[in-house]
Amino acid sequence: MLLLQLIINGIQVGALYGLTAVGFSLIFGATKIFHFAHGASFAISAYVFYYLYAVLLVWWPFAILAACILVVLFGVVLDRYVYGPIQSADGSFFTIFVGSFGVAVVIQNLIGTVFGRGFISVPSALSRSVETLPGLYVAPTAGIAVVTAVVCFVALQLFLGRTNIGIALRALSESPALVRTFGLNPKAVSTCAFALGSLLVVPAAVLTSMTSGLNAAIGGRVMLISVAATIVGGVGSLRGAACAGLLLGIAENLALWRFDPQWSEAVTFLILFAFIVLRPSGFFGRVVTS
Amino acid sequence: MIAYLVNLATLVCINAILAITLNFIMGYAGIFSLAHAVFFGVGAYVAAFIALQWTDALLLQLPAAMLIAGTISAALALPALRVRGDYFVAASLGFQVLAATVFSEWKSVTGGIGGLVGIPPASIAGHAFSDPVQFLGLAGVTLALVVVLTRAIVRSSFGRSLKAIRDSESAALAFGKNVALIKTLSVFYSTAVCAVAGVLYADYLSFINVESFTIDASTLFMAMVIVGGIGTVWGPIVGAVLLTLLPAALTYLPFLPRTEIGSVQQMVYGLAMVLLMIFKPDGLMGAKRGEA
Repeated sequence: MLLLQLIINGIQVGALYGLTAVGFSLIFGATKIFHFAHGASFAISAYVFYYLYAVLLVWWPFAILAACILVVLFGVVLDRYVYGPIQSADGSFFTIFVGSFGVAVVIQNLIGTVFGRGFISVPSALSRSVETLPGLYVAPTAGIAVVTAVVCFVALQLFLGRTNIGIALRALSESPALVRTFGLNPKAVSTCAFALGSLLVVPAAVLTSMTSGLNAAIGGRVMLISVAATIVGGVGSLRGAACAGLLLGIAENLALWRFDPQWSEAVTFLILFAFIVLRPSGFFGRVVTS
Repeated sequence: MIAYLVNLATLVCINAILAITLNFIMGYAGIFSLAHAVFFGVGAYVAAFIALQWTDALLLQLPAAMLIAGTISAALALPALRVRGDYFVAASLGFQVLAATVFSEWKSVTGGIGGLVGIPPASIAGHAFSDPVQFLGLAGVTLALVVVLTRAIVRSSFGRSLKAIRDSESAALAFGKNVALIKTLSVFYSTAVCAVAGVLYADYLSFINVESFTIDASTLFMAMVIVGGIGTVWGPIVGAVLLTLLPAALTYLPFLPRTEIGSVQQMVYGLAMVLLMIFKPDGLMGAKRGEA
């Protein structure tokens, strides 16, 4: 029963990881920017939701809407005012990485200063577990997480496949020069990628604030998992990122069966490490060694 | 006041060694490691363990720490041979997180979260460096040795091969360079000397715990290299001086609440990194690309 319980917990966590990782992967695929501040987007939307919903007692759809608006703004501002100038001046991966990493460090400490470093969670009836089978506890949030993840993923696939902006996004990941030839502005398309990728963290952030709770360092953790899932799943493959996110969530929870909870992060990295050494291209990726 | 300045100067020396060794792999080999604090920690824990269990002889602690750190560096060299750039950064980040967990959980050796206390001061041939001024001398001499040695390596044919690999791995391979061997050796050198800084740190503070060897520390070391100027001789030293003195200077600002100083420091590093990347990506001491 414990094993089944851990698998169900793993699917819940993994669905949210997958969703966050897909956002990261979308941004990286389209713009080739390794967006280390993706975790900061997650933290911002989670804390905005927490503050509006649990402290100011705003009606939840408004709180979620505000989180969406702010997080999209954050992504777009970063793209325009941090990555944009760096890319036009130098553009080596390292400069972008350092800039992005710096932003993540600033946001994490800003949140720590404003909201404190302690653990907070949003109280909600949805996260109360119900004994569905003898010894098996499932909260409604588990179902909501899985349904949300599937809905978002299907919607994203439809968007990328059917709309003009979606097609432009996929084109940008193939060839920025060709995008320009067709009369589109690559910068505008990359801003769209940031807006969309950042938006995808909101459901995961809101659900995480209700289930496992938040602390100031959560951005770093989320970033690590998104990066790991993107690499394990294969860079540029949204499907891969989603599957790898799910896999990491389940593996992390299964590890609890045998090890103490402190080791759950270590499990993520053993998987990442194994993939980098043995199969750098991931599940579905192209070869990327140099 | 003198004691305070001596303390700062010793920490500057230790941080400068760390920044120089990190710059060696980042600036010359193009290996951007976010796991440098791991090897710093390994050096410190090995020194502390030996000092507490057997002997305070520095000349025994140093080779042991260097050898163990160098061996563990295989865990860094392996992904470095397979992937470059962002992928390697992610791998090193993973390694750092893994190591921090080991540091805080392997209680019989590392003392867990509480760390190891009462590490005796190091001694050479029976002479114990218990006086802070003498220890500063020891740290200063070590730093000077590291600077000279690293410069010599960078200017040797090995250093030129390294830069060739950084600039174009396939071209270096085409010229018959053993890329895998050169990369592995450079990581070995960097981490082994990094462990020396760890030994000094443990012997100097006589107390260590996992807090000093986490991802925050790795970020700080990387910030030192970047702020100073990556791939330059003096850059890491300038970066180490600035970023070690900054926290000391911040404590003098009266309007900052004590508990927030740590966060303010981190924010300053972060902001400095972002602004530098936008306006001067080569760092304060940076030359134009290609001259270094």
